[in-house]
Amino acid sequence: MSDAIDERRSRGPVQRKGLGPRPVGWLDPRGRTLGHLAFVANRITGLGLVFYLYLHLAVLSLLLPGGEAWNDFLELATTTVFLLLDVLLLFGLLYHGLNGLRVTLVGTGYVPNRQKALWWAGAVIGTLVLALAAIRILGES
Amino acid sequence: MALVVLITVHMVAHHFVVQGTGGLRSYRQVLEYVANPAIFTIELLFLVAVTVHAMLGLRGVLFDLATGERAREWISRALVVLGVVTVAYGVALIVALASRA
Repeated sequence: MSDAIDERRSRGPVQRKGLGPRPVGWLDPRGRTLGHLAFVANRITGLGLVFYLYLHLAVLSLLLPGGEAWNDFLELATTTVFLLLDVLLLFGLLYHGLNGLRVTLVGTGYVPNRQKALWWAGAVIGTLVLALAAIRILGES
Repeated sequence: MALVVLITVHMVAHHFVVQGTGGLRSYRQVLEYVANPAIFTIELLFLVAVTVHAMLGLRGVLFDLATGERAREWISRALVVLGVVTVAYGVALIVALASRA
């Protein structure tokens, strides 16, 4: 028995056994629990926020040539369509941030076994903040 | 946790304090805002924290696509380079804008 264990150990960790899950298997929502769906949404919002990080840096670069380019951009950025995209961005930030807090609280052991309740609490808080922010952002357009 | 605090400060300061459509600042307001030493420091910290977080998140997603040890090493190296370039560009941008106020 110990020979078999030693032999297995000598081969190192299993990188991949058989076909295994597909690399993008985490995207498949079928038959998933709330925890997995929360994880998928967290990844999707995270990828969206990484894209936005670079878009944000590109937009802020418009400040470098001087005020004219920035003021032209402001005219575009204050249209209703762009302000709606701002609300979408805020949704991504709220979801990713609140879910991150949930994972931290569960993972560090402060609130273990309450991951579903925390998700719903985050959903309520996030919806309220998003609604108030959307009124603030769109109310002046 | 620090990132949640920093993003809250960033969003409130940029979109919920300024009067005007969408809470967006004019050119002159942006320069004066970034030149404030406290804001300058907060924005730099935010840039570093958000970039590190983004690169680690990307690493997690890409590691699901590449299971080989060699590929993972390359991904890690590429993301370190991308992160350093991102922070360097962001710092240069903030410093350039602050110096114009």
